[in-house]
Amino acid sequence: MDEMFYLNSLWTMLAAILVIFMIGGFILLEAGSTRMKNAGHIAGKTIFSVGLTFLVFWAVGYGFIFGGDGNFFVGMTDFFVSGAESGASDVSDAVFFVFQSAFAAIAVCIALGGFAERAKFPVYVGFTILFSAFVYPVVAHWIWGGGWLAAHEKQDFAGSTVVHLTGAMAALAATILLKPRIGKYNKDGSANNLAGHNQVYTTLAVLILWVGWFGFNAGSTTSVDGAFFGYVALNTNLAAAVGAVAALAISWVVLGKSDIVTTLNGALAGLVAITASCAFVEPWAAVVIGLVAGLLVFYSTKFFDKMKIDDPIFALSVHGAAGVWGTLSNGLFATPELAAANGGSAGLFYGGGFGQLGVQAMGVFTAGLYAFVASFIILFILKKLMNGLRVSEEEEIMGLDISEHGNYGYPEEFLTEKNNNNKLTS
Amino acid sequence: MDKQIETYKDIKNWKESEIRNHISDTVSLNSFHDEVMKAVFSLALKKMNKEPPCRFSWFITGSGGRREQGLISDQDHGIIYEIENSECAGYFSSLGEKLADGLNISGYPYCDGNVMASNPLWTKSIAKWEEQLAYWLKEESWATIRSLQIFYDGRSLIGEEEYIRHLKCYIHQSIQHNPNLLKRLLENVRHIKNSIGPLGQILTEETGTYKGSINLKYTAFIPYVNGVRLLALKEGIEDTSTNGRMEALIMKSPYNEDLHKYIESFKQLLTYRLLLMNDVESYDDAHHLFIKNLNKEKKNEIKKILKNGKRLHQYVANLIEQGVKSWL
Repeated sequence: MDEMFYLNSLWTMLAAILVIFMIGGFILLEAGSTRMKNAGHIAGKTIFSVGLTFLVFWAVGYGFIFGGDGNFFVGMTDFFVSGAESGASDVSDAVFFVFQSAFAAIAVCIALGGFAERAKFPVYVGFTILFSAFVYPVVAHWIWGGGWLAAHEKQDFAGSTVVHLTGAMAALAATILLKPRIGKYNKDGSANNLAGHNQVYTTLAVLILWVGWFGFNAGSTTSVDGAFFGYVALNTNLAAAVGAVAALAISWVVLGKSDIVTTLNGALAGLVAITASCAFVEPWAAVVIGLVAGLLVFYSTKFFDKMKIDDPIFALSVHGAAGVWGTLSNGLFATPELAAANGGSAGLFYGGGFGQLGVQAMGVFTAGLYAFVASFIILFILKKLMNGLRVSEEEEIMGLDISEHGNYGYPEEFLTEKNNNNKLTS
Repeated sequence: MDKQIETYKDIKNWKESEIRNHISDTVSLNSFHDEVMKAVFSLALKKMNKEPPCRFSWFITGSGGRREQGLISDQDHGIIYEIENSECAGYFSSLGEKLADGLNISGYPYCDGNVMASNPLWTKSIAKWEEQLAYWLKEESWATIRSLQIFYDGRSLIGEEEYIRHLKCYIHQSIQHNPNLLKRLLENVRHIKNSIGPLGQILTEETGTYKGSINLKYTAFIPYVNGVRLLALKEGIEDTSTNGRMEALIMKSPYNEDLHKYIESFKQLLTYRLLLMNDVESYDDAHHLFIKNLNKEKKNEIKKILKNGKRLHQYVANLIEQGVKSWL
């Protein structure tokens, strides 16, 4: 084992820690974007579901993605990961496993965003187990684990499709089956703004995610060779920056005000979009990719509102729409040199023709479809087994903190004398 | 009023059955509101079982004071009485409470800002009112300056008209002695809800049942009302209606040249508000104009009204800032 092995392992471990810390970003993002009465539940369920994901991923998820004896669908060895070093890789197998677990956890966080403020707690348990065993690993195997899309040389450096689109499609299945939150839509079809209770949380969340994304994207090099991670980080940072600026600009132009929520979503959309392409494109292209993502997320949010799909934390727009765009952007902007180094071929604008763009589109379509259908089926079965996915009307109105967990995230806010009196008389 | 009025509920029923006969123009509608509120006063006085111990003025302010009420509006009022003693204080405080409750039952909801004769801040002897105005002018806090603006829209509905005229005169004189006050008054109403986007589009509500509408009160009326009030304060105009104030101002230089287009726009705005009244069911309904339903010509008209409101506001701000500078 040489120095490069240790350095690669150390860098990948650092990246894994950064990605796991992104979960903190999701906790704040979801809690800040939802109402006080659900805050403790939204935050706490993330820690629980991430724990569950790590266990499932260790038991079967990792094996399904990277195991040997694989077929086009999944791998079939390396279950209950032993942590033993094979010596065949230039990065520690155990470190690589931890790094990959973190990605699975992020996909779960995104998916569960679609459940916010109305799903029963047991549904989170069931879905987390089944999603991290049978949904995420399948898509990841197709693209990263030597599956059929990998055979087509689909480019997805850090997971615009694998992590973000997969998570978003699960969230979409959930929002459709769960239906909108009480009070989201009026009888005349117009949507209400159920504003999140803490914009400071949401903002801090975006910063945490932004920082963590250096682990996500630059860390996906899993190598210090040639310090290529720096180039990936450069592109990542540019896309996030321009995403925020573009989203702010479009909100100002269309709404006449610089909307904070849109700006935050713009930064995240830039990050999601550059995730697939960060190792394949030049910095100017990263700016274009982030810019389009920032504009896209604004209109996508409006679109879902209009379609009566209630997306409390904007998972469908930030991770779904931007994930699709990011994946397709490879087919437009991938340079011949970077494609040669990292797989696949050059994009349309670099003389690569429509080949890579077609592969990217096929990847988006098949992976997105699989994630949606599989998640839908899982949720449909859970719905039958659990007699509904959604808490009762009364529970939803009192809030999931008290109805699901018997405690408030903000006790002083709810346990006032007045409320207690109400309870006694009701 | 044909039939016997014995309860506030009777007044409410009478108001509701008659009001739609008065929605053809703002003047007629506001005269009707005056009549209804006077009926509330008579009933409240009757319930006091005692004649007032001294002379007084019951004044209304806000949109009522400005004669700009729509179909539905909340109550804003106060009392100025002649003699400062405990008997009068007790009597008018009790009357103030009856008035507020009566108006509420009769279809004028309580004022969120508590500008009601039931609030001791708005019911005082004339001597105490003078003290209070002096304090408001001296204190120059956000709240006291806001109260001054509200007071300046007041007009006597029952009793001695002279009282409110006297008190307004006092405000006007203070401003003449200290033009900086005008700047303070301006700062107090500097915010206008943005109504036209950078691409020249009308900015409508994005969510809720009023999606696609603009709030006429905040985007259109407020800039005119606040801008013109400042000029009235500056020039000591007695009239309380925005229209009347502008008509009075236009007699003077430099307004005779500058105000014409704004008067025109404001009149159009009043017409739009009347149009809205045909299908109004709530206080919020009365203020929301759905832009989508308008034809292109009307949309452009609305845009012009909104833009002129903003321009007028800016015009007043420049005038006051220059005035203060030249005075310094």
